[in-house]
Amino acid sequence: MNEQQQLISETLRRLLTDLCTPDIVDKSESGIFAENLWRALTETGLTAAGLGLKVGGSGGDIEDSLLVIREAARFAAPVPLAEHFIAGLLLSEQGQSIGPGPVTIATGKFFISDDLSLSGTANNVAFARWSSEVVLVAQAADGLKLCRVPTSGFDIIQKNSMAGEPRDALNVNTKVVEESVFSVDPKTHERIKLMGAALRALMMSGALESVLEMTVKYSTERSQFGKPISKFQAIQQQMAILAGEVAASQMASHAVVDSFPNLSELDIAIGKARIGEAVSICTDIAHQVHGAMGYTLEHSLNHRTRRLWGWREEYGNEREWQEIVGRHFAAQGADKLWGAMTAL
Amino acid sequence: MFQGLAFEPFDLPAEAELIREEVREFLARELDPGTLPNSDFNAGESAEFSRKLGAQGWIGMTWPKEYGGLGKSFLERYVVTEELLAAGAPVGCHWIADRQTGPLMLKFGTEEQKQRFLPKIISGDYFFSIGMSEPDSGSDLASIRTSATKTDGGWLLNGSKIWTSYAHTNHYMVTLVRTEPPSENRHAGMSQLVVDLSDKNVTVTGIRNLSGEEDFNQVFFDDVFIPDDMLVGTPGNGWEQVMSELGYERSGPERFLSAFRVIVEFTREIERSPSDEQLVLLGRLASHLITLRRMSISVAAMLGAGKLPLTEAALIKDLGNSYERMVPEIIRLAVPESCSQRFVDTLNECILHAPSFTLRGGTREVLKGVIARGLGLR
Repeated sequence: MNEQQQLISETLRRLLTDLCTPDIVDKSESGIFAENLWRALTETGLTAAGLGLKVGGSGGDIEDSLLVIREAARFAAPVPLAEHFIAGLLLSEQGQSIGPGPVTIATGKFFISDDLSLSGTANNVAFARWSSEVVLVAQAADGLKLCRVPTSGFDIIQKNSMAGEPRDALNVNTKVVEESVFSVDPKTHERIKLMGAALRALMMSGALESVLEMTVKYSTERSQFGKPISKFQAIQQQMAILAGEVAASQMASHAVVDSFPNLSELDIAIGKARIGEAVSICTDIAHQVHGAMGYTLEHSLNHRTRRLWGWREEYGNEREWQEIVGRHFAAQGADKLWGAMTAL
Repeated sequence: MFQGLAFEPFDLPAEAELIREEVREFLARELDPGTLPNSDFNAGESAEFSRKLGAQGWIGMTWPKEYGGLGKSFLERYVVTEELLAAGAPVGCHWIADRQTGPLMLKFGTEEQKQRFLPKIISGDYFFSIGMSEPDSGSDLASIRTSATKTDGGWLLNGSKIWTSYAHTNHYMVTLVRTEPPSENRHAGMSQLVVDLSDKNVTVTGIRNLSGEEDFNQVFFDDVFIPDDMLVGTPGNGWEQVMSELGYERSGPERFLSAFRVIVEFTREIERSPSDEQLVLLGRLASHLITLRRMSISVAAMLGAGKLPLTEAALIKDLGNSYERMVPEIIRLAVPESCSQRFVDTLNECILHAPSFTLRGGTREVLKGVIARGLGLR
């Protein structure tokens, strides 16, 4: 971490400790947006940390935004930092400022006609109900168009993920203004998917670190048979597996960060697949160690574990990305397998 | 208090990548394409191969030039070792001397010991074994009973070591022994002695492993005289010295590449028309392997910088060994019925060796204990 990132990390942790309490996360799940949190993140420039000054960002590196997104996931922050960042990046490529937002991103089927009539639907749109605008890619007669559309133009059906995060369904049939429509690269859908997968991988690795810390702490505080349960070998052996998976996730997440600027499919695929696999193992152990206490809604372990279970499915689960990784290496063939692995 | 884990990403430097090409050319020249590569680093030995490797400068390559080393970086050595392992080269003869004996002597040995042993290790003429486990002392290493008592000009060694790989072909064994009776501090009073395995009072008895090979041994010491100058480091400091080797012993690529040849042969079986399921499996195995390799490189960089990341090293070994155990078990269920003899032989060799993966160099249970300590649980 460089000095700038150290500063971001400290500011963010302070802010999240105050404004992203378990109570705020619970309230978000019951339908109250964490507005103060979002405002504070915006005012400190953290929602646009890695976007350029010309487009209203804080002028940092992309890595700064990735750090914010990963750290916020440690706190289960109920705000669409990842979606806002993807939207911000796509808009910045068009010289557009994202504004205070939150702006979300919708991946679905959209069409735009020559007279700028936009129609289509999308599912699993994060935080749409609380966003000011939606960024989406629509098919036009002459290629793909990136559109930014006020949320008021959509019919929103509210739905939640298993973590109680808004994952709304959207219908749209509206006219959009010419200034909000931009021709984009035919690969934009794929780019959004890679960005989404990369950010979910980072969020999972952040949340997993927090799960490890919580579980270590709980095991040293909880006493049974006259001693902390951390003193039992059965618990220690499980904790060692948990730590190994979290360490592997951490390592995989570093590679995801490095590959984000170029959106290298292979690195992101490896990250999403490996970290997703760690989620299954880590949540199993963390809950087992926390006992019935961790199974309650009251305990904030579930703020992390339910998100982890949700995020591992989003933008492609392990199987989908493993297949991509496998296809890459099978195409190299047996005798070039090792060379291909060391070339990464 | 748990302070988190420290696996910083690290890119191999350009000079390390240059060596990689040299090693690949060397292996293409030296390895007979007709023989099946070893699917376990501990499974093949060839003194001739080790001497050729020594002639290239790739044994003890990080050691100072005054002893015949090349003064290369720890990361360049990393590349050489992983290339050898991935190719299934017969590295058994020199492996321990290169990985452990040399660094131990450089850190604790006398000038005389360094001059006497290091150049010969580097040339591939002296091979070393590790003498740690005993018939009654495995994971509980501090309970060893093999002892050396002071005598005029040296030590008299009595007792026995077991599971000593290649003691029947190697020249020396660095042996952990008690030089003082056990006391309240279990870790006190141990020392490391260099035992000449050709000594007439040393008896080496082969033990067959379950695959029928005889690569490990029991070694008996019957009043073996060890001259004073064959004690490494300080008398009584043996435990600390042994612990300092563990970072090297546990974090290297041999802890997750043992089953790699199985993945290579699996790929050969499926590469022409893979099913989706086979691709998913290959992708899963590759994403684990690539992540483990990055972790191992990260620890190599830490070791190269003079740090001693024992928890991280234990973690790589535990994670890597579990992976090596998993590979043959899931691949065997994913191949077509009509697979080649080459694949079957590679798979079977790996399955027969797999039980040793999670025993040697610290059982997985002991490693998990080390990790738990690092987490602040014990």
